[in-house]
Amino acid sequence: MTRWGMVIDLDRCTACQACVVACRVENNAPPSGPEFAHQGRDISWIRLGSIKHEEAGNRPGLSLAPLPCMHCENPPCVHVCPTHATTIDEEGMVAQVPARCIGCRYCTTACPYTVRQFNWRLGQWPAPLDQGRNPDVSIRPRGVVEKCTFCAHRLQRARDRARYEGRELEPDEYVPACVESCPAEAMFFGDLDDPHSEVARQAASPRAFRLMEELGTRPKVIYLSKGE
Amino acid sequence: MPESNRRASKEQPGSGFLAPCLATGLLFFVAGGAYGFLTGDNFRRQPIEQPIAFNHRLHVEEQGLDCEDCHPGCRSEVKPGIPDADTCLMCHAEAQGDSGEEARLVAMLARGESPAWRPLFRQPPHVFFSHRRHTAVAELDCGECHGDIGSSTTPPRLPDKLRMDDCRDCHLERGVSVSCSACHR
Ligand code: HEC
Ligand code: HEC
Ligand code: HEC
Ligand code: HEC
Ligand code: HEC
Repeated sequence: MTRWGMVIDLDRCTACQACVVACRVENNAPPSGPEFAHQGRDISWIRLGSIKHEEAGNRPGLSLAPLPCMHCENPPCVHVCPTHATTIDEEGMVAQVPARCIGCRYCTTACPYTVRQFNWRLGQWPAPLDQGRNPDVSIRPRGVVEKCTFCAHRLQRARDRARYEGRELEPDEYVPACVESCPAEAMFFGDLDDPHSEVARQAASPRAFRLMEELGTRPKVIYLSKGE
Repeated sequence: MPESNRRASKEQPGSGFLAPCLATGLLFFVAGGAYGFLTGDNFRRQPIEQPIAFNHRLHVEEQGLDCEDCHPGCRSEVKPGIPDADTCLMCHAEAQGDSGEEARLVAMLARGESPAWRPLFRQPPHVFFSHRRHTAVAELDCGECHGDIGSSTTPPRLPDKLRMDDCRDCHLERGVSVSCSACHR
């Protein structure tokens, strides 16, 4: 079975935030402005977070790391959602259906990685930004929670193409926007269950660790950083 | 106070409450029902009028056109596409018969306009649906989802849209994924 996962090599990451910009454009994150951002209401499905040394297994020298949704194997958000608006699918993706969400925000509280965001207003795109929206990602209504989907819409397209051409999905056909954009080549994406995949090889590195492993959430975003 | 009297005075507030409670309950029941009806699908879906009464059967059965001639992507793309003026102009630069509807079309085309077809089967933007996946890969007939539109003589005024349950029922029957992330985006 396919199990999608991501590896982020913090020894290569330069904290340039190209992934943050790529994600915003790909996923129609509305422009917000300084005031809104100051209130902490700016939507960004991946952001640069600071990691404490204890969280990183006491690896020194760590400070900033890109934080997408961890797509936990045992996702707290899914357990607390009262409406099944967030679910984990057979390939390990934690999906969010905004149309089903009632905005109760149990999940934003339950998520230990704080990567779920409540959206406080309907996105507005002043011209000509409205021309640049991605038609494959829906505009979320106001008052719901949203989060990183591992760019699942890219998987829908890629799988559709592969099935139509009567072949298997190639490993490099489906890659989220953040991974694609990383100029330092610090991000990897693929099937963790495929022993030949780059991402599985990287995840087996001795440098690998997951955030807050002790909570038992079993994240599928794996970080690499060398210890002392 | 005698025992019986005390009980009676205790009961009084109880029975006085019952009637307003029932009335409020009934009010909510009726209001809820009315709300459900008014916002329900049958009430909300307005009949759709097309600018020209297009006759599918005449073009498909009598003229021998294939769905693909006018909906080019229906077996090879995600979206089938709606024909533009150029497609109609291939035959309707001049009148082919003597129907009034056709005369209106010819006049419209001569003015350089193309009929503004109203969408019938649209899904909300948060749903991903691929035609080729269903027509070319799963080899389903158009009629499975669009009813008899291919052999209809006038455009449907209220098409039976596919609801999520319809998608799910068939997917469950055929062992296709029903996880939210398969269809929603
Ligand atoms: C000569 C061109 C032509 C051919 C051939 C044709 N169509 Fe159409 N079709 C149209 C036009 C024009 C419309 C828009 C007007 C309408 O809705 O009736 C349309 C509309 C439709 C719609 C509704 C689209 C929407 O907005 O949701 C469906 C479904 C459809 N056709 C199916 C078929 C099928 C199935 C076939 C083959 C059996 C077919 N068509 C063949 C011209 C054509
Ligand atoms: C499994 C169900 C299903 C089958 C089979 C199917 N359709 Fe559709 N069709 C849909 C749905 C759902 C939509 C609305 C899609 C959307 O809004 O993205 C649609 C939309 C359309 C449209 C209007 C979309 C546009 O491009 O603007 C046309 C035309 C159409 N279908 C033609 C066909 C034809 C021709 C066939 C057969 C070759 C066919 N369909 C087979 C479900 C189906
Ligand atoms: C392959 C040629 C061809 C194409 C392409 C074509 N038509 Fe026709 N159409 C005909 C013919 C032939 C008739 C029959 C005329 C008659 O006998 O009355 C006809 C008749 C009609 C009529 C009159 C229908 C009736 O009920 O009498 C309308 C309206 C019409 N077409 C609309 C369209 C539209 C709109 C398009 C473009 C989407 C289109 N046609 C594309 C060949 C074509
Ligand atoms: C009559 C049966 C039928 C109906 C109705 C139907 N589907 Fe499907 N669908 C299928 C089949 C069969 C497949 C698998 C095709 C294949 O072999 O790849 C499929 C595949 C899909 C996939 C790809 C799933 C995956 O795992 O990648 C999506 C997405 C999808 N359908 C969406 C829809 C939506 C949305 C609707 C309703 C608007 C719908 N389908 C209605 C039969 C149906
Ligand atoms: C096979 C495809 C398919 C799957 C799987 C699916 N949906 Fe849907 N869903 C649809 C389609 C098509 C619509 C739009 C038509 C309708 O409203 O029924 C829809 C509509 C909805 C709506 C209504 C939105 C509105 O604005 O009215 C909600 C809520 C929803 N889906 C939630 C979910 C959840 C939660 C899951 C997973 C448990 C899920 N869906 C799985 C196809 C699907």
